[in-house]
Amino acid sequence: MKQILRKLGWMIERGRKEAELRDELQFHLQEEAEQAEAAGLMAEEAKYAARRELGNAALLMEDTRAAWGWTCLERFWQDLRYAARMLRKNPGFAFAAVLSLALGIGANTAIFSLLNAVVFRLLPVADPQQLVQFTNTLPLWETGSSSGRELYSYPQLERFQTQSKTLSGIFGGTRLGRINVGFHGTSGIAQGDASSDNFFSVLEVTPQYGRFFSAGEDRAGASVAVIGDRYWRNRFGADPSIVGGAITLNQVPFTVIGITPPEFSGIAVGSSPDIWVPLHALDRLRPDSKRWTEPFSSAWMLIAGRLRPAISRERAQAELDVMNRQFLAEQLPISEIGGLENVQRFVHEGRLVLRPAASGMSSGLRDRYAFPLKLLMSVAGIVLLVACANIANLLLARASNRRREFAVRLALGASRGRLVRQFLTESVVLASVGGAVAVPMAWWGSLALVRMISTGDSRVPLAVDPDWRIFAFTAAVSLLTGILFGLAPAVRGTRVDPGPVMKKGTRGAGRSSHTLDRILVVAQVALSVVLVTGAGLFVRTLQKLWNVNVGYGRENVLMFSVDAKLAGYPSDRAGAVYQEILRKLQALPGVKSASASIVRPVDDQFYLLDRVNEIDGRGLPERNAIRVAWNATSPGYFSTVSTPVVSGRDFEPRDNETAPKVVIVSESLAKSAFPNQNPIGHRLGADTIVGVVKDSLYSGARDQPRPLLYHPLFQHGRDQEFGWGFVSFELRYGSLSNLPDEVRREVASVDRNLPVFRAKTLVAQTEESLMEERLLATVSGFFGALALLLACVGLYGLMAYAVARRTAEIGIRLALGARRDHIMWLVLRETLWLTLAGIAAGVPLALCAARYAKSVLFGIGTADPLTIAATVVTLIGVAALAGYIPARRALRVDPMVALRYE
Amino acid sequence: MSIRPASRVDLLQGTLDLLILRTLLLGRTHGHAIAKHIQRTSDDLLQVETGSLYPALHRLEARGWIAAAWELSERGKRAKYYRLTAKGRKQLQAEHAKWETFSRAMGLVLKPLNPEEV
Repeated sequence: MKQILRKLGWMIERGRKEAELRDELQFHLQEEAEQAEAAGLMAEEAKYAARRELGNAALLMEDTRAAWGWTCLERFWQDLRYAARMLRKNPGFAFAAVLSLALGIGANTAIFSLLNAVVFRLLPVADPQQLVQFTNTLPLWETGSSSGRELYSYPQLERFQTQSKTLSGIFGGTRLGRINVGFHGTSGIAQGDASSDNFFSVLEVTPQYGRFFSAGEDRAGASVAVIGDRYWRNRFGADPSIVGGAITLNQVPFTVIGITPPEFSGIAVGSSPDIWVPLHALDRLRPDSKRWTEPFSSAWMLIAGRLRPAISRERAQAELDVMNRQFLAEQLPISEIGGLENVQRFVHEGRLVLRPAASGMSSGLRDRYAFPLKLLMSVAGIVLLVACANIANLLLARASNRRREFAVRLALGASRGRLVRQFLTESVVLASVGGAVAVPMAWWGSLALVRMISTGDSRVPLAVDPDWRIFAFTAAVSLLTGILFGLAPAVRGTRVDPGPVMKKGTRGAGRSSHTLDRILVVAQVALSVVLVTGAGLFVRTLQKLWNVNVGYGRENVLMFSVDAKLAGYPSDRAGAVYQEILRKLQALPGVKSASASIVRPVDDQFYLLDRVNEIDGRGLPERNAIRVAWNATSPGYFSTVSTPVVSGRDFEPRDNETAPKVVIVSESLAKSAFPNQNPIGHRLGADTIVGVVKDSLYSGARDQPRPLLYHPLFQHGRDQEFGWGFVSFELRYGSLSNLPDEVRREVASVDRNLPVFRAKTLVAQTEESLMEERLLATVSGFFGALALLLACVGLYGLMAYAVARRTAEIGIRLALGARRDHIMWLVLRETLWLTLAGIAAGVPLALCAARYAKSVLFGIGTADPLTIAATVVTLIGVAALAGYIPARRALRVDPMVALRYE
Repeated sequence: MSIRPASRVDLLQGTLDLLILRTLLLGRTHGHAIAKHIQRTSDDLLQVETGSLYPALHRLEARGWIAAAWELSERGKRAKYYRLTAKGRKQLQAEHAKWETFSRAMGLVLKPLNPEEV
């Protein structure tokens, strides 16, 4: 640091030092001349003698300046100016180089921005490294898509809070999901969270306005609410006077006590709650008698805490694991369901694990996208390598043309190191300009990516705005890129023997010097093969997933959800509301059939699992119980989604609350419960089977056919028991036109306060369920095309240069009567050889790389012959195109002109 | 025209610094006088090239071994006078000791040279 300051000081002094040095030398000359005169020389002669004695004054000054210690900076400045001048002189080259660099660096930065937001970004709270999340090694209940390993019960939270000595604070929280927020007679849907009253104090977040929950505020009858900054701006116009005001949540009154700071948007990536209420407010919104006491059937909270200073995670984990096992062992004999094998196993074999939570709690978004994004990051890295190779090649060609310049400079006494440094400065300048152009491109790109993965009703809350990490990343990548593509041309371009080069002129580089160009082009082709193969695999995966027979018809189905609870209906009256809506929908002119269900096809929110443990009154031992996924549907569901009823019947209006309980099974369930029998009329538990339907894939194309149980929605009433309360409606339509608006009108005619959400066609819902695959296919396809383009330009550049160098040779061949197709072949042959070499190197590389992506492929192996064949054909096609233009130019060579030219 | 003696000794790398420091031990003076002093005291065997002298002076100044100030010369002209600093004195001692050792070692190795052996 001191060194730098001193150098800066000298920079300012520079002018004075320069003048002083001149004075000093002037004095030296005078002294020398006077002494010579004293020795008997004439005055004039004495002056000349003194000058001679001094020698090369410019060199002397240069050497002396070097002793001042800042020549480095000065030379760098010179190099910079020189580099800028060179780029201005070759705008075509500069444009091509900057554009390909900007694309390469921009692609990397865009993906990195997303990866940063999804995986790396730390929570904006004090000392996030101290945060830990409680997880279990075993799930208590398998809940389908999420493994449920993060879920704990309220009694456990209480135990940890009172007994832990290694954590300074422990909080619990859960999602409320959608809530209807009423304010001055208007209503709107928001996302809610419930948390213990120490949530904000443990995180050490301070309110923007008002206050957060105070200790003891999480108690029965709690009616306070904290509003998130974003929601406060959107819904309440950023009005601070809302603090202390009254709002309703699902028609229940609450008081706003504070607003979160803008940087805080929740503790898990991709979920940013609009409203927080204390845990006990749940009783006012959604009563559940078991919630506070039952440790096994009612695990619904995530628990997290903050380590005390100087306590390691391992130590805290050891303490809490013992505490947890003790607690569970105490509870096991008391619990009603303590005898279940599953619960026993959980208690005896499960362990508590503390997961570092500096970058947030476990998040579905992160689980879903971390790996695809890492894959894309590698892909983007390869694109950048291709771009580097491309520019290295352009620079090599330019270096060949500048051999004369280098020779002159070497002859004049420049050192080779100096030339290399200057060359590197030029490439780093190029890379920096590319990086600067890349920043806005990346910003735009990452926003586009966020829009792309936003599947819900609103945009995924991801902060992709450039932060220091992204800038550091871009700067590092640019610098590295500059050195990477600049080094080879710099070293090779400056290996010049001044004598012969100056005699020969600009052309006439040695034969050996073209090996490097070729290697670079072959490397480009090889890397392109990897990218194109990857893109091909992802596109094929998407196709295969799309073509899976899912067991229902995707076309012409519109779905939407309604939650009567949000409009303040108690659960016993919700069923009537839904029936009323269904009646109105069935009467709509454009609707062929309509139905309602809890789980919709390819549902992104639900996954209901159960066990069948009694067949025809015969109890099954626990281990033989049949694990089923279940759904509750209205009459007409199967015809609406085109799932054939194989035997028996669909539900009918007569299957109402008073009628005997009935159930429909899927073929898989029928086979496993009643092998070689007709299941109609048999009983599962208390329900009589009235129909068998074809298997359908419950949770989308990657699912396996599984035993499925359908209850009648309006008989079963299980949606109310389940507590979520909202149902999905499915409509089979003739033409979509303005059906969504009509639907909203019909629902509003039942009750103005009933919000409609998740309205989308089954095709759109399927597309969203394949979002990771689509992201991979689209982005890697884009990158693959980019790499192909770059490789094409690289090949073209090399061949065009080769043709230009061989103009004379081609001219002679033509003059001597060589056939045109022969000349054409001469050029094309080399292009094809280079391409084939690239393919030969690239295919094994692509096969290796594909193994890494195996887990995201579907329906194809990592060595998919079709994909590889398509890649090879594409590359050869592109290479032929790249070689054709220079080949045509070769044909147009006029022998006379070519010979005279030399 | 200054005629250089045929047997002029090329300065070893780094020895110029030592010579400058040693010269300045006698008192502060300007660059030209330093060069002349070295030439004179070495019986004209050592001729300091101006092209090396000034870079060396500025280098020593940058290292803080010598300090410079503008003063009037005997003939009344502004000249840059150099003097030894405390740091420079220490450096001179160290360099001097090193040189002594080196020349003694060279001497020991080279001494037994008989004309017949060559």
